[in-house]
Amino acid sequence: MKVAINALHTAQGAAAGSGVPGATTRRPPLRQRWRGSRNLLPALLFLGLFFFAPLIGLLLRGVLEPVPGMGNYAQLFANSAYARVLFNTFSVAGLVTLISVLLGFPLAWAITLVPKGWGRWLLNIVLLSMWTSLLARTYSWLVLLQASGVINKALMAIGVIDAPLEMVHNLTGVVIGMSYIMIPFIVLPLQATMQAIDPMVLQAGSICGASPWTNFVRVFLPLCRSGLFSGALMVFVMSLGYYVTPALLGGAQNMMLPEFIVQQVQSFLNWGLASAAAALLVAITLVLFYFYLKLQPESPVGNAR
Amino acid sequence: MLLTPNAMGRPLRLGLYLTTGAIAAFLLLPILFIVLLSFGSSQWLVFPPPGWTLKWYGQFFSNPEWMDAALASLKVAVLTTFTAVALGLPSAFALVRGRFPGRDLLYGLFTLPMIVPLVIIAVAVYALFLKLGYTGTLLAFVVSHVIVALPFTIISIINSLKLFDQSIEDAAVICGASRLQAIVKVTFPAIRPGMIAGGLFAFLVSWDEVVLSVMMASPELQTLPVKMWTTLRQDLTPVIAVASTLLIGLSLLIMIIAAALRRRNATNA
Repeated sequence: MKVAINALHTAQGAAAGSGVPGATTRRPPLRQRWRGSRNLLPALLFLGLFFFAPLIGLLLRGVLEPVPGMGNYAQLFANSAYARVLFNTFSVAGLVTLISVLLGFPLAWAITLVPKGWGRWLLNIVLLSMWTSLLARTYSWLVLLQASGVINKALMAIGVIDAPLEMVHNLTGVVIGMSYIMIPFIVLPLQATMQAIDPMVLQAGSICGASPWTNFVRVFLPLCRSGLFSGALMVFVMSLGYYVTPALLGGAQNMMLPEFIVQQVQSFLNWGLASAAAALLVAITLVLFYFYLKLQPESPVGNAR
Repeated sequence: MLLTPNAMGRPLRLGLYLTTGAIAAFLLLPILFIVLLSFGSSQWLVFPPPGWTLKWYGQFFSNPEWMDAALASLKVAVLTTFTAVALGLPSAFALVRGRFPGRDLLYGLFTLPMIVPLVIIAVAVYALFLKLGYTGTLLAFVVSHVIVALPFTIISIINSLKLFDQSIEDAAVICGASRLQAIVKVTFPAIRPGMIAGGLFAFLVSWDEVVLSVMMASPELQTLPVKMWTTLRQDLTPVIAVASTLLIGLSLLIMIIAAALRRRNATNA
C-alpha cells in the first residue's frame, strides 16, 4: 500500500515536471524556491513585533540612555558592587552546574541500568519534578530550609549542628534551590545518550583487561560526553538567567544579574544601566547557545524521509 | 559491564542504587512536603504537623482575591494556548514542508524566546507595553505568554509532522480532494497528538509563568503565580501551600494526559 502511494507521489511529481531530483539542473525560479514560506508570516510578524523589536529596543537603550556612549558599560565593570553581581552570577551558575551534574549523572546511569519498569518510574519522578510549578517548589524549599525548618530541626536532633544553619536568604539557599531545579535538565539529555551506548562496548573493554575504573574513565565517560556537555551547557546558560529562585531564596546582599536588572528597572528606573546588563547577559547566553547547537548532531527540521 | 547490572561488581551496584534512591527522594521531597503541609493545622508550618485540617483550603476557596487570580490564570492560559497553536501550526508546516533556504536559521529564530533569559524578555516587553499604555491588561498577559509558549508548540508540531508521511496527503489530493481539504481531513487528524501536546505545553508554560506575569501585573489583574509571589514576600502562610498543591495537581493531570497521548500515538504508528 505504502509503496503504491510512494509510486503515485513520484509519478505525480514527474508529471508536473518538478520535484524529482536530477530532472532538471536549472535553478528553480525564485518564487518556487520560497514556496511554502508564506505560512511563516503570522508567527514571524508576531515575534517581530512583540519579541525582536522590544528586545532590540531594550538593548539599544544601553548605549543611548541617559547619554549616547558606552558609559553604562564602563560603570558596569568599574563599580565594584556591580562587578560583585557579575562574580556572583557566574560562580552560582558554575556551582549549580557542577552539583546538578554530580547528582544527575548517577540518576541517569541508574535509569539506563535498572529493569525497564523501574527505569520508567525514576524517569517519571524526574519529569514530575521538572513540570511541577516553579513557585511551588521554591516555596517548599523556603519552608524546608528556614531556621525553624525541618532540615535544621532534623540536623539538630541528631546532633550534627548545635545552632540552626543559615540556609536561606543567602547564596547557599540559591545554590540548593537551583541545583534541585536543574537536575532534570542534566538527566534527560544524559540518559538519552547513555541509552544509545551499546553495552557490548563496555563488555569488550573489560574482556580486554580494563579494570572497572579504567573502563569507566576511558570508555564510559567519553561515550557519555555529548549528552553531558550539552546538558551542562544548557544548565549553565539557564542558571545565568534565572530570576525567581534567586529572588526568593537569595538575600538582598548578594544579588545575581537578573535580579540586578529588575531592580534597576523597577526601583531605580535606570533603564540605561539595566539595558547594558541585559545586553551582557544576552550576549553571553547566545554565545554559549551557539556552542550548544554545535554539539547537536542533526538539523532539527531536517526531513526524516 | 558498566551498563549490565548483573555483570557489575556488587559494591558498585549497591552504591549506585543507594545513591539513586537518595537522589530520587531529594527530587520528591519538596513536592510531597508541600502537599502534606497544605493539610497541616500549624499556622507556622511546623512539620510534622500537630494535626490535620482542611482549614487552609477553606480560606483559599472563600477568598475572592485567590479565586479571581485563579480565574485570571485560567483565562490567560486558555487564550495563550489557542493563540500559540494557531501561530505555531502554519509555521511548523512551512519549516517542515518548505524547501526554502535558511530553514535552520528560521527555526533558531523561533526557538530564541526559549533561550533568551525570561527576565530580559519580561523587561523588554514591559517597556513596550509601558509605552503603549497596556500594562496590566489581559492583552499584555496573553501576548507575553505566547512569546514563550510558541517555541513549545512549534517544536511539538514539527516533531509529529516529521513523522507523518506526506504521500498519504498527496494520495487524498490525487483522489480528488483539494490541498486544503486533504490537510484538514487527513493531515490534521494524523498530527493531532503533536498539536494537543503543543497546546498542553503552552497551557502549562502560561499557567506557571511568574517573571513575565509579575512585570505585567496590576492590582486589578493578577494571575495565580503573581498572587503567590506577592503573598510569599509578606509571609509564608499555609494558603500558599494550598495554591501550590493545586498547581502540582494540575501539572500531574497534564502529565498523565500527555503520557496517554504518547502511548496512543505509539500504538497508532
